[in-house]
Amino acid sequence: VGSGKLESAVLWWFPDHARTIRPPLPPPRLVRHMVQDATSRQIHILMVEDDAAIAEMYRVQFEHDGYRVTVATTGEVAVSSLAGAQPDIVLLDLLLPDRSGFEVLSALNERFPNHPPVVILSNYGEPSMMDRGRSLGAVEYLVKSRVTPSDISEQIPVWVEQGRRGGRRES
Amino acid sequence: LTQAATVAQDLTAVAFVALGVAVAYHWYRERRRTQRALAAALITLAVVAALGRIPDPPLALSLLNLTLFMLSGFFVLLFRSEFIPLGRRTLLAAYLLLGFGVAVGLADVLFFQAAPPPAATLLGLGIITPWAIFVGEPVVRFWLAGNRLPAVQRTRLRFLSFGFGLLIAVLVVAVIGGRSLSSPAATLSIQLVALISVPAIYVSLMPPALLRRIWRLAEEGQVRAAMQDLLIFSPSRQVMAERAAYWAVRLMGATSGFVTDAGGKILAATGIDADGASELAARHPDTIVSVPLHLTEGTGKLSIVTGPFTPVFGSEEVAQLRGYANSVAAGIDRARVTERMAALESNKTQFLNLASHELRGPVTVIRGYVSMLESGMLGELNERGRKAASVMAAKVLEMNELIEEMIEAARLEEGDVNLHPVEADLRDVAREAAEVVSPLVEAKHRLELDLPDRRVGVNVDPDRTKTIIVNLLSNAIKYSPDGGAVTCQVRARAGTARVAVSDEGIGIPRDSMSVLFTRFGRVITPQTEHLKGTGLGLFLARQLARLQGGDITVASVEGAGSTFTLQLPLAGAEPAAAANDGAERTAVAQTD
Repeated sequence: VGSGKLESAVLWWFPDHARTIRPPLPPPRLVRHMVQDATSRQIHILMVEDDAAIAEMYRVQFEHDGYRVTVATTGEVAVSSLAGAQPDIVLLDLLLPDRSGFEVLSALNERFPNHPPVVILSNYGEPSMMDRGRSLGAVEYLVKSRVTPSDISEQIPVWVEQGRRGGRRES
Repeated sequence: LTQAATVAQDLTAVAFVALGVAVAYHWYRERRRTQRALAAALITLAVVAALGRIPDPPLALSLLNLTLFMLSGFFVLLFRSEFIPLGRRTLLAAYLLLGFGVAVGLADVLFFQAAPPPAATLLGLGIITPWAIFVGEPVVRFWLAGNRLPAVQRTRLRFLSFGFGLLIAVLVVAVIGGRSLSSPAATLSIQLVALISVPAIYVSLMPPALLRRIWRLAEEGQVRAAMQDLLIFSPSRQVMAERAAYWAVRLMGATSGFVTDAGGKILAATGIDADGASELAARHPDTIVSVPLHLTEGTGKLSIVTGPFTPVFGSEEVAQLRGYANSVAAGIDRARVTERMAALESNKTQFLNLASHELRGPVTVIRGYVSMLESGMLGELNERGRKAASVMAAKVLEMNELIEEMIEAARLEEGDVNLHPVEADLRDVAREAAEVVSPLVEAKHRLELDLPDRRVGVNVDPDRTKTIIVNLLSNAIKYSPDGGAVTCQVRARAGTARVAVSDEGIGIPRDSMSVLFTRFGRVITPQTEHLKGTGLGLFLARQLARLQGGDITVASVEGAGSTFTLQLPLAGAEPAAAANDGAERTAVAQTD
């Protein structure tokens, strides 16, 4: 049994998963092109993740795909590095040592009304948490184990573009 | 008649003396502090009755008798004070009253032997009023206290009140009546009434077993019913123990009771708090009657605390208590097992939830790196390396599937599943489900969709419903290793939509049907043992179906195949009346 077959079965077995992969992934050859934004600037990712192994894994993928990556291991560091650097997108874990990702997101909304798009990456797939994440303005909520690093990498330009077009409802 | 009156007077005196002797003996045997005052009261009363029969007593004897009479009433008041202690002022007032009564009595005996009738009546009232107060207050109090007590105690207190109340009445009538009641007939009736008080007081103090049983009769019916309830419903262990203590107390007419486990820990107490119970058990073990409570984890105790009115615990009552304790132990054990099962079940769900979320972290990393290895991003692998990576990728996906199913199962157990029902055509849902499983269909299988021409409207969460059908279809394929037809038939009839998924596979042994839909329940046979599965799929499918008002049923012939049928209520109509209802609505719409 090839992994492709299994994957599609798993994918449909869980409706939540089905939702997370919309919109359809762009074809890979476009991706290279989109790693740089309209002004040909390298896309800068701020990854808020306290698990070093996971952060390292994503960094390998993202840097391979040509992104610049900054890792923040706590909510506090995340908020302060957002003040300093100007990332194009924030990948936010929910379970952080100092506070929850939801709190970080609320703080961002309050202090930086024009903050870059935020994608939540979590181990929790509870519908209530997904709803909460989206209501706080996250452009996407993904369960880490359901997607591969390359799935995420391919979507990043789409999310950045979505954020630029005013994906966040309140802005 | 005069003679009869004399005999009655003698008889009353003898009865009181007998009562006094019985009380003295009883008290000597028990030597219970709380009953000391009452014994004293009845013994003095007996002496008074005996001395009263001495003809033409000398002055000193009269004085002694009068003082003893006063004291007998005072002792009753002291007895009442054992239950509800009197305040210092009240006690002082009581002593003054006692002095007053004795003084009036002395004056009467010494100076007013030949007083005219009104004065004699006044003097008589002066003597009996303090006595009536000493005795009357406790009589009323005991009677009222009986309302809140178990049947045996209540009846005993009522008899005591009745006996002493009768004595007060007799004395008041005799004093007020004075000379007019000195006829033999009047004396006879007064003596007979006084005589009645003797057995009343006697049974209140030393009730024979037979009487106690009669008094308890109504309660025993209740206790039997309560015991049945305990054994049928098995509430929590705590509630069980509380009820056991409560009924032991009521049954035995004790003042309080408690239940201890094998370690001596107090499980429940009634009429006394847990601290008080352990203190009492340590300090006054003599006031406690205990019977063993045979529990699985050791022998506990069902104990009752004897009170001033608790009957002597004869062997008959201890045997009864023992029998009761056995029933209680059985009930408590059962409650314990039920509680442990519930706790295990809830632990299991919590564990599932926690473990699965914790597993997602490592799985994410493994899956991520394996996908990178597979894609060659981390350097080109040789042929064997690529094969290994692809096997790992498949295994990680299996693992992921297991985690997702476990989380879904835990979520279902916690009732944390939000369905989003919409009006959907079940044919579309079935079509999509068939599409999902198409990659699993091999050349040897034939997947056939059998759909009706007309729309099958259902009000369901389409994603979850598709999940159910996908599960049934992938099972049908998985358990048809030799291939054959897998059909998915959709039908609507009598208010119910049905999706029947049939295969020509290995079927299900009859005796394994019961585990099919249980959590982690898998049918393991030589044909299935090599097939992978979590045993959660059908459990989840049925739970999801039931959450949407439907169900899943199964029919199977071992070796010939199985048919799983998903039933869902058709949209817009009550089941059974669906067709009719729909027709009428259409008609109305047309006339409009």
